[in-house]
Amino acid sequence: MSLKFLIVDDSQTMRRIVANSLKNLGYEEFVEASDGKDALIKLAADDGLNFVITDWNMPVLSGLELIKAIRADEKMGKIPVLMVTTRGVKDDIIEALKAKVNNYVVKPFTPAILREKIDQILASNGGSN
Amino acid sequence: MMRSENLSQLFSKLDDLKKVFTYGEKLIPVIQSLGEFMKETVPLLENINRSIAESTSKIPKATNQIQNVTSATEMATTEILDLVDSLNDDLTDIEKTMVEVLAKETDKKDFLMSLIPMLKKENAELFIKDFLNKNCNTEKLGVLLLQVGKMKNDSNSIALSLQVQDITSQQLATVNHLIESVQDRLSSLIEDFDNTKITEQDSNLNIPEGASFDPNARYSKSIVPQQEVDSIFSKEMQTASQAEIDKLFN
Repeated sequence: MSLKFLIVDDSQTMRRIVANSLKNLGYEEFVEASDGKDALIKLAADDGLNFVITDWNMPVLSGLELIKAIRADEKMGKIPVLMVTTRGVKDDIIEALKAKVNNYVVKPFTPAILREKIDQILASNGGSN
Repeated sequence: MMRSENLSQLFSKLDDLKKVFTYGEKLIPVIQSLGEFMKETVPLLENINRSIAESTSKIPKATNQIQNVTSATEMATTEILDLVDSLNDDLTDIEKTMVEVLAKETDKKDFLMSLIPMLKKENAELFIKDFLNKNCNTEKLGVLLLQVGKMKNDSNSIALSLQVQDITSQQLATVNHLIESVQDRLSSLIEDFDNTKITEQDSNLNIPEGASFDPNARYSKSIVPQQEVDSIFSKEMQTASQAEIDKLFN
């Protein structure tokens, strides 16, 4: 299945690094968003987006709020979401899990970790979403 | 007619009054020295007030400078990423060309080797193998391709290391927030001085809910943080799954 990623991060640097890493992992399609609100607009506008990689701390709408908004939406509720953040304490992970995040990566990440988590999500979703 | 009981009460109260006056006499020098102390202290307090006001006025400049540092590093990081991308593109082109050349060289070698049985001349095999040893570049190309691959990996590692920019910008945003909080406290302190009333405030400078930065952001290349996250994540996932199963059966 071809994946089209939505990369959500308020840091332009991080968006580029995630995009480059995905490119090196063989993925070709990605769209970028600078915060949660921007991400929701892009998700609503593009039905092809089928995987979200998001940061947590962002202005306007945080990554956690974004996940809650995605899960609450009938149409895009099942899109896999991978959180990539500097927040690595237990309470944060539990909070993200409660919001129904699919997996969790701490920054700085490596492409190997990114690939591992994407594969895990796809495997647990039965290769579809 | 005043009774003797009332008179003794009156004398007792007069006695108390006398004691108050005697105490007052003793207190006067203390009050005087307190007054002198206050006279000396007021200029000192005014001086402190002035210093705080001056320091407070410098804080916006400090926060601006921190923001400038963040912007400058983000710009520099973008430039480095542009260069790394361009380097990677060039390396990918070189790699493609080298793979093509290597394929042609291999074809050439295979072709020459296939000629050996057709040639009737003595020492033909020796001649061709010697020619190939001297002129065939497949091995060198293989080594070069490995080097190009390593260069690509290195440039990708440079790009990945630039995650430090995002993390330091969050750390700087935290510092900025703390400085701004100090400024708020100092400003309210100045107001309190002006109102000659100093209120005690709690010294906890909290990070606001929903801040767009993580105050605990750290740059670490260790795999331990991710391992800890994975362990918590899988444990909590199992707990959540079990809770869902329990919910279904109860």
